[in-house]
Amino acid sequence: MIPGRSPAVPAALAALLAGALCLTLESVAPWLARFPANWTLPATDWAGTFLEWLLLGLKPAARWFSWLLGYPMLWANAALGQTPWPLMIGTATAIGWYLGGLPMAALGLGGLGFVLLSGYWVESMNTLALVAVSVPLALAVGGVIGVAANEFPRIKSSVQAALDVMQTVPTFAYLTPLLLLFGFGPVVGMIASAIYAAPPMARNVILGLERVDPEVREAAVMSGGTRIQQLLLVEIPSAARQIMVGVNQCLMAALSMVIIAAVIGGFNDIGWEVLLTMRKAQFGLALMAGLVIVVFAIVIDRMSAALAHERRRGDPRVAYGIVALSVLVVLVFQARLPDPSTLTFLDPAAERVDRALGEFTANNGEALNQFRNGAMFYVLLPLRIGLDEAALPFTWGFQWTATMSAGLFAAAAVAGACLALSGRAVSGLLLVIGSGIIETGIANLPWPFVLVATFSLAWVASGRRLAILCVALLATVLVSGLWERALLSLYLSGAAVFACAVVGGAIGLLCAVAPSIWRVVRLVCDMLQTIPLFVFLIPVLMFFQIGEFSAFLAICAYAIVPMIRYTRHGLVMTPPELLEAAVASGATPWQIMRDVRAPYAAPTVLLGLNQTILYAFAMLVIAALIGTTGLGQSIYLALGSADVGLGVSAGAAMAILALICDRLVQAFAEGRRTALGL
Amino acid sequence: MPRDGASSGPTVRAGGLWQVFGANATVALPDEVALGGSSADIAGRLLEKGLNPAVRGVSFDVAPGELFVIMGLSGSGKSTLVRCISRLVEPTAGSVEIEGEDILAASKARMTELRRSRMGMVFQHFGLFPHMTVLDNVAFPLKVGGMARRARHEKVMPIIEMVGLDGRERAYPRELSGGQRQRVGIARSLAGDCTVWFLDEPFSALDPLIRRQLQDEFLEIRTRLNTTIVFITHDIAEALKLADRIAIMRDGEIVQIGTPTEIVLRPVDGYVSQFSRDVARGRHAKVGSIMRTEGEMGECGGPGLRADMTLETALASCMSLYDPVPVLDDDGAVIGMVHPADLASSLQVEES
Ligand SMILES: Nc1ncnc2c1ncn2[C@@H]1O[C@H](COP(=O)(O)OP(=O)(O)OP(=O)(O)O)[C@@H](O)[C@H]1O
Ligand SMILES: [Mg+2]
Repeated sequence: MIPGRSPAVPAALAALLAGALCLTLESVAPWLARFPANWTLPATDWAGTFLEWLLLGLKPAARWFSWLLGYPMLWANAALGQTPWPLMIGTATAIGWYLGGLPMAALGLGGLGFVLLSGYWVESMNTLALVAVSVPLALAVGGVIGVAANEFPRIKSSVQAALDVMQTVPTFAYLTPLLLLFGFGPVVGMIASAIYAAPPMARNVILGLERVDPEVREAAVMSGGTRIQQLLLVEIPSAARQIMVGVNQCLMAALSMVIIAAVIGGFNDIGWEVLLTMRKAQFGLALMAGLVIVVFAIVIDRMSAALAHERRRGDPRVAYGIVALSVLVVLVFQARLPDPSTLTFLDPAAERVDRALGEFTANNGEALNQFRNGAMFYVLLPLRIGLDEAALPFTWGFQWTATMSAGLFAAAAVAGACLALSGRAVSGLLLVIGSGIIETGIANLPWPFVLVATFSLAWVASGRRLAILCVALLATVLVSGLWERALLSLYLSGAAVFACAVVGGAIGLLCAVAPSIWRVVRLVCDMLQTIPLFVFLIPVLMFFQIGEFSAFLAICAYAIVPMIRYTRHGLVMTPPELLEAAVASGATPWQIMRDVRAPYAAPTVLLGLNQTILYAFAMLVIAALIGTTGLGQSIYLALGSADVGLGVSAGAAMAILALICDRLVQAFAEGRRTALGL
Repeated sequence: MPRDGASSGPTVRAGGLWQVFGANATVALPDEVALGGSSADIAGRLLEKGLNPAVRGVSFDVAPGELFVIMGLSGSGKSTLVRCISRLVEPTAGSVEIEGEDILAASKARMTELRRSRMGMVFQHFGLFPHMTVLDNVAFPLKVGGMARRARHEKVMPIIEMVGLDGRERAYPRELSGGQRQRVGIARSLAGDCTVWFLDEPFSALDPLIRRQLQDEFLEIRTRLNTTIVFITHDIAEALKLADRIAIMRDGEIVQIGTPTEIVLRPVDGYVSQFSRDVARGRHAKVGSIMRTEGEMGECGGPGLRADMTLETALASCMSLYDPVPVLDDDGAVIGMVHPADLASSLQVEES
């Protein structure tokens, strides 16, 4: 871009001016710093009143539906609960064999074997029963939505927009209205998970049908198929792989949500077990229950992923043989089969873990605390409330004074001016803005500055339309009285995203240059992506107790994966002829990385960042369980008090934040892509 | 050489066919047509509006049993034209008749019916159903037509044999080579006993050797069936080899329709002659096309030229002659004269 011509300089200047104005006028016009409470609208109450009225109207139908769904649940529960465990394990092994040969069969056997030995068999079967009912529901709903969007191009874009929004609405936010509609009980979790799991299915169905080779589609038309025949005999089977990817994602989403829904309680499932043991600080048991969930997730994920791969299937006769064998085992040992709930083989191990953990924290508690406090005092707190409030004698050893602020600004201004003089005006301006943000703290940012900065950012990213949209969305959050909580959420997820971007980017870079590292990292990434959100809380809680830092770590652990993956992928997919041209021009490997690979990877890396942001927001809400402030906490509290208004509006605010970030980053990525002519 | 008498009407008739891509094309086109001007003028105004007139007022007839080749550069609208005729896309304006029936007025059900019983289509990238075996692919038109499994398999086996795929009928498309895949495509389009056969660049995606082989097989298949064929290609050699008549397209319009000889020897403009520039004319044009039937007829004898000899062969046999050479029919009677000068000049590749 030609400096001066690009909109970035005036935009950054505008944001800087707004920020400076707010800071200087703060004392004369306090409404600049803090949005006055009497300017807000009681949007939360309105939403509550309206929703309660609406839900009340829907209630009879919902109750009827819930009653109806109670039956399949009962059946699934009975079927899974009453089936002797050797038969269950045998069936899983047989399915594994059929889908992927020996490795999958071993996975099925080993996985369910572990579940049995852990003593959580009954709870696991209850969870599985929930999944077994919600997944077909989600598949049907998602499939119908996907096919409908494909059939009626007119509704396609709005369906896709709705799916986008649904992806950003936090999981807990679904639960509150559902709770009101369906009452307490496992059916709510089931319906929530069906709602949560349907969009990935719909998305993949749409994608798959879209990608059917046009000639294949036309061949079906020219063969004289009716529309139904074309769809059922040609298009859907041709899209089968993509649809199977949807089934896989649907299963994983459903499992994740079923476990999250355990917070409602009232059902003896494995998610509940995790919560319970975590609350009682029995981390050994919590870890084991968490492992059971992870094992389930891995078994379900790998087996359903095998569906999407066109791999040679195992011999079905062997599979039948395995099932027959397990039936035989049941018949022969019928009376002597142990009751799975009495199995406690692994309890000693859990206790040992507990004890070891106790010892570890006792011995290293000081170091752990120091680590946590260091991160809190020197990084998180200043980011949250600014240097002026975070630097206290108690934390930093001295009091931050106005002179120091002036010094900071002066230093930033000088450095910024130097950058500007060397032709990097935008970087210079950003540096000054950054110093202002650190000084003030994200949670204390003046609202006019946030609005202007967002507007400028969106303007640079894409143009007026996006800018207006973003500001309008932010303004709704502002007047609805959720602003401060929104900033708090923004701060924590922002900090986590920043950490993920730096660390994940570095790891991605490392993996791109060293394939051997990637082989290891990849396994870890696969693992982290399979683990349901909930389970991330256990280890951080074990070491760092309840608090913002634990939440921060949990968010990072979950959200770092896309950053690593996309960075590496972007860097390694540079076209070989570009690299050869660079080598032929005499560039060193480092120069190639900086001048050829990195720019080429930029759009992909940005997409990774986008995913990381969305993941961070998703985890933020779950992390409310272990102590965060902000919107996530509100959503969680609303769930506890069945406050639909608060739950839904806080959920909407969260979705708005996620949506704005998503649009901004996507727009930047798109800009980079067009700049590269991709 | 259209076969069958011309007693019945044309099998395919396209009249004033327009295909305009873009929003509100159906509104914009009549407006512009009402403003008048040649189709090029109308197209120009549509382009200014940001619309894309891919087919611009095209009319032609295809006689029963004829092999009609549409040829033109990439993007000239060939595929779009044939998609209009088979109604895979809805033409913006104009009419299409197949065996006298206005198919643009046909209901959905009637279209399905027509496609099952009258039309067959072969695609450039084969368009095979990836999840079906060769047998199921070929039998698919019969399956959707409601024929029982055994019956349809029995019915398509001879077709599979005809295209030389017997023994491979249980294979999946991904297990076949490109040439074999297109044989499946051809077999499938023939399963429904079509009377009009559309082929959209069927051999373009294949290697030259396989292409020639399939062209020969295609001609062979063609002699056994009595279908009317609309064949699309961008390869002049292929067009000249296969066609009864060729239509040359440029920017959505047909600039010339004629027999291969006419296209080669009497191109209407530079665009058409550019196509034939690189082909050895002597190999495609026949003695009949330059023979003079008026004026003085010579004696029987000479090197014994025939009207259906190619110019190349003729030249070889009258290399050293300067006088007009008689052309004979099967009985040895003189039917015309060829001046070696004409022969030489028509063989000269156009300069420009
Ligand atoms: N579905 C469509 N929507 C919009 N424009 C189209 C569509 N199909 C074709 N076109 C446009 O119509 C014009 C003619 O395309 P067409 O595919 O008919 O060319 P073609 O002669 O078959 O070329 P090729 O030899 O490459 O197959 C092109 O400008 C193309 O961009
Ligand atoms: Mg084409």
